[in-house]
Amino acid sequence: MKLLTKTSRYYLILSGIVFIVSGLIFYQLLQRVFYSQMDLALKDEKELIEETINYSDSVPDFRTIFGHLVEVTILYDPNRKNEFIHDTVMYSSEDGKFLSYRHLFVENTSVHQKGYTINIYKPLHETEMLITGIVIVIALVFIALLAILVAVNYFISRRVWIPFYRILSHLGYYDINREKPLELTKTDIYEFNQLNEALEKMSNKIRQDFINLKEFNENAAHELQTPLAVIKSKLDLLIQDESLTEEQMQLISSVYDATTRMSKLNQGLLLISKIENEQFPSAERINLSQVIEKTLDHFGELIGHKEIKVDSKMDPSAVVKMNRILAEILITNLLSNAIKHNLQSGSLDILLTAHQLIISNTGQPLDMDPADLFERFRKSNTSGQSVGLGLSIVRKIAMLYHMQISYQYFNGIHSLLLTFA
Amino acid sequence: MKILLIEDEKELAGSIAAYLQKENYVCEMVFNFSDAIEKINLYQYDCIVVDITLPDGNGLKVISELKKMKSGAGIIIISAKNSLDDKISGLEVGADDYLTKPFHLSELNARIKSIIRRRNFDGNNEFVFNEIRILPENMEVFINGDSVILTKKEFDLLIFFLSNKDRVLTKESIAEHLWGDEMDLADSFDFIYTHIKNLRKKILEKGGQDYIRTVYGMGYKFSGL
Repeated sequence: MKLLTKTSRYYLILSGIVFIVSGLIFYQLLQRVFYSQMDLALKDEKELIEETINYSDSVPDFRTIFGHLVEVTILYDPNRKNEFIHDTVMYSSEDGKFLSYRHLFVENTSVHQKGYTINIYKPLHETEMLITGIVIVIALVFIALLAILVAVNYFISRRVWIPFYRILSHLGYYDINREKPLELTKTDIYEFNQLNEALEKMSNKIRQDFINLKEFNENAAHELQTPLAVIKSKLDLLIQDESLTEEQMQLISSVYDATTRMSKLNQGLLLISKIENEQFPSAERINLSQVIEKTLDHFGELIGHKEIKVDSKMDPSAVVKMNRILAEILITNLLSNAIKHNLQSGSLDILLTAHQLIISNTGQPLDMDPADLFERFRKSNTSGQSVGLGLSIVRKIAMLYHMQISYQYFNGIHSLLLTFA
Repeated sequence: MKILLIEDEKELAGSIAAYLQKENYVCEMVFNFSDAIEKINLYQYDCIVVDITLPDGNGLKVISELKKMKSGAGIIIISAKNSLDDKISGLEVGADDYLTKPFHLSELNARIKSIIRRRNFDGNNEFVFNEIRILPENMEVFINGDSVILTKKEFDLLIFFLSNKDRVLTKESIAEHLWGDEMDLADSFDFIYTHIKNLRKKILEKGGQDYIRTVYGMGYKFSGL
């Protein structure tokens, strides 16, 4: 959820609750004020009636005087004394429905020692309509006010958060691989300037560490080359010795294998760090189908040896702009992977369109998480001599040229999809 | 044959020299740029093996110096920098070949021999070993005068063996020689075995001798008997 939506939503919910609660209280208060007003009027009428009874000892038609229902009866039991006011409902034949009334009831004794009962009914529906009218008007004003407040709040927030969104988009576009350190524009808000400072400091540290790491990787791989060359050359000399026993030869053979692996590993790492450091700058338009044909030809004997059936459908005009060496490494690694992990008498399908290259091959199901396929040193148990850098190099090259690489497995067929713009 | 080896890593230089001396080459070693310049100004060599990164200068300058002197020596660059730029600029200034460290001594030996052969015979060379006669330019092989049809890989393999007679050649060095660096296929060694078996069969069929021996788990050896 967006920040502005979130704040506006909270604002609306809270204001709504306040509105409803205060509305209820307001309604109650209003009703109480009107009722007490009405009760006072009822008592006034009652006193007037009592005075009339006491004065003249007769009962006139109060209904015509007050304009609403008044019943006065003479009681025979003068000792009963009672008085209350309450709400009641009565059927009105005039309106043909039940209406609510405020009812005052009095039992008392007059000066002439005669008991009497007074019932005064004041109709309530007019008062109720008045209250409802007032509440509706107030509610409308309140809702309008709320809408204006929310809108104002939205626009103010949007203005205030502009620098924040600018920082966000800056961060989104920032690439640690690029030469320049992160630079954020100054704002007039103290907190955002602090955020800027913290982010710049942090990114500079990360960038410095990243550069150091890349340098270390390359230097380490580079410096290992010479000792490896020495070991290899000494071994080449050692195995020429005629006096070596078979056991000694086995030992040397193991050392030799390990050295070869190490040297291949080192070359792979060096290549990766060179790709990372963008040391393959020159890009040209590469016709992929030509590179694939050439590589297939290079692996021709191996394909024949494994009796792999190759089926290729290639768009001869598919072109990518990239470094030639890297294009060759990319294709070589993809194809050698598809041959290496293929079955005896398996199949290898190549589909090249203007924007996609799909290489599919038969093979044993993967014995690792497909998500790890492009990670360094991830390899299946069956690949023996492999150092596990081939697909990680493929991914590095793909990343360098903004290509997408993905893997699929279906029905015994492994497919690698390379999508390029 | 005189070879000058310019390499600042003394251990590596020692190994290379030891290997080449067994081929009856006279191999001189220098470990820095100034000594190298001095040597090439004083003596004539058939082949010069030069490292690009030297403590006091760039190996490429040694090559331009040689070219200025119109030296006829073959030049092989050996470099730890597996970079294309070095390779291109090296070949541009006039080097004949380029090898990346770490390399197999047998590979360097084969390359040196190939360069010397080309220089000495102006390309119209042939080389003969007992009953085997090879015309490298035409890729033709004769055994006891009979032509033998070899595949490209079998032919390369035979030349590699003959360049390194009586030497143990590891499976790795053969694989790299035939398929280059990117050969990372687990079953390539079985494949070498197939090639060697076929080559041996073709030589035997024409009445040649069986020169190729298997060396334990290590590799193969072409022995002159």
